[in-house]
Amino acid sequence: MSEELVKLTIEGVEVSVPRGTTVIEAAKEAGINIPHYCYHKGLPIAGVCRMCLVQIEGAPKLQISCATEVAEGQVVRVFGEEESKARSSVLEFLLINHPLDCPICDQSGECELQDFTFDERQGQSRYNDFPKRYDPAEQFGDDVMFVANRCILCTRCVRFMDHAAEEPVLNVSERGDRAFIGMHPDAELNHPWAGNVVDLCPVGSLISKDFLHKARVWELDHTDSICTGCSQGCNIHIDTREELVVRLRPRANEDVNKFFMCDEGRSNYRWLNSGDRIEAPLVAEGGSLVASGWDHALARVAQIVKGSTGDAVVLASGKSSNESLFFLRELFGEFDLKAHFRNFTVDGELPLSGVEGLALREERIPNGTGARQLGYDDSFNGVSNASIFLILGDDLEGITPEMLSGAKNFIYVGTTLPEAARNADVVLPATTVAEEDGTYVNRDNRVQRFSQARTAPGMGRPAWWAFAEVLKELGRGDAVDTAAEAFDAMASNVGAFNGMSYSTLGKNGQKLAESSAGVSK
Amino acid sequence: MAISVKVMQRKNQEISYLRAALKGMALTFSHLKRPSVTMQYPEETKTEDWKLPERWRGTHRMLTDEQGRAKCVACGLCPQICPANCIKLVPGEDEEGHRYPLVYEIDEFRCVFCGYCQEVCPEEAIHVGQHYENAEYSRDRFVYDLERLCAQTHPVSTLWDPSDARGE
Repeated sequence: MSEELVKLTIEGVEVSVPRGTTVIEAAKEAGINIPHYCYHKGLPIAGVCRMCLVQIEGAPKLQISCATEVAEGQVVRVFGEEESKARSSVLEFLLINHPLDCPICDQSGECELQDFTFDERQGQSRYNDFPKRYDPAEQFGDDVMFVANRCILCTRCVRFMDHAAEEPVLNVSERGDRAFIGMHPDAELNHPWAGNVVDLCPVGSLISKDFLHKARVWELDHTDSICTGCSQGCNIHIDTREELVVRLRPRANEDVNKFFMCDEGRSNYRWLNSGDRIEAPLVAEGGSLVASGWDHALARVAQIVKGSTGDAVVLASGKSSNESLFFLRELFGEFDLKAHFRNFTVDGELPLSGVEGLALREERIPNGTGARQLGYDDSFNGVSNASIFLILGDDLEGITPEMLSGAKNFIYVGTTLPEAARNADVVLPATTVAEEDGTYVNRDNRVQRFSQARTAPGMGRPAWWAFAEVLKELGRGDAVDTAAEAFDAMASNVGAFNGMSYSTLGKNGQKLAESSAGVSK
Repeated sequence: MAISVKVMQRKNQEISYLRAALKGMALTFSHLKRPSVTMQYPEETKTEDWKLPERWRGTHRMLTDEQGRAKCVACGLCPQICPANCIKLVPGEDEEGHRYPLVYEIDEFRCVFCGYCQEVCPEEAIHVGQHYENAEYSRDRFVYDLERLCAQTHPVSTLWDPSDARGE
């Protein structure tokens, strides 16, 4: 696409878009959403649904706006009588075979067919004699279920499997009014990125078995977040219903994950609803941990930090936010600090081969790059002769209590209390990624924000808050009230983050300064 | 100075109570011949010229299909619209893959009998009923579960139809 701009008029609104843009995309620039089903920005153009018909002045008949490129001086009409009537007729044909089962359909509430039908105000069908009917439900894969009756044959799923996943297991079988989406008889829809067909499906034809009957869409709250599954840092929505995370869905970000996320990340949400959380700060007294208040526990941590010198060792989870990692370093600024983070790697990437730069990465933690930028490394192999040892986060698989025993004082900051942490001197209840605001840095050095989706159970607070409070107690800093303030403090102290703030990061994130990006691999 | 009082002299027929008493009795006994308007509740609950209105909104009833299963498909619209938040619904799937309510409970104490649940129901399953006699020995008996809602037999309410305002 060249940078040459083309000027055209859409519904009386003049827009300038690069040459090669389609009319449907240009209309979005003009603030007009032309109804469409088969068109999807992340997939090749098919032009099969005929829903996006518009009038282009000078053209002999109506054009589909998804496959028509803009031209200089074009005048496009979207809501005139002729094209509205044509679209409404197309919609009526689509509804011929579509069952009226919105009450039991999981897509209801986020269904494009429902929305556009509602816009058309076409309440009744003129045809209800012989709609085509198939088996109510077919199992396509481990998580994908196919309800053939609801399908409008937009072929988004077929094109996703052909061109994005490059594993063509779906096709349009039969022809004309007998057509249906078929699957290769010897294959299953179990590609590691196959879950995206559920999001792509504009109707409730491809649905997730995991989400089936779990919630109605209108009961959900959507929060912008970042997937914690790997270092790719896919942008996601966390969908919550009454403080429970019920599903994760990809959020469009052209620079990171386009419109997709892998199944591994999609299913990785149950730990956010974990019930075995620490709900109050715990302080060791007489050989056992006793529930306490924040004031007492923080004073105890301050006392430990004040009364110690020499070596300090910290082990942070790979899911820790930059803010928490930064304030943790600050806390031990006067020590000889060995800062580590827990890394998990799996051999082999699982790419979405048709999309450049998108894969489930080998490094299965979201903030390895951020941790390295802040001076952490992943070479932890035990503590010996340290005056203070601090653990941030729960990822302690493969770590034995013996590895943690070589320190005089042991502070644990986490969400649950694993076996290895039971002999800590102080335990502080932290929050998960769904319960705090913060930032991660992905493998391409992109700093990305995540937001709070649910409230933390009990007295849990973000780790950066607790560390900032201790610093204040020690007289080495002011109170930090918000994650934005915590980030600002980091941005002014750490070169790579200079000049950034939550408002400059926005929804799509921002890359670290080029010169300082050498630390990461 | 003494107050002078003038004593009225009236005729006997004017000061006798007999006439007034007889007049009263005549009115009383005349009622014996008039038609009775009292309804003998609870022996009687409706009469020739009075019955519970069609649009009476009382305690709920869940309608069932030919197999005796609740018609509800657990779409979740009634708990959504309910202004009193008195409907609890947990959807599930039966052996044949049909969506149905695993849990469906209405707290009749909390209910304000607005009838929105009946109005919003796409399956004509949940209805408010022409029923008002609700007495129980304990409060928790007023939380009607699905079985109890299906077992109700009273007639269901006809909601007001704006296009047919007089119910014709």
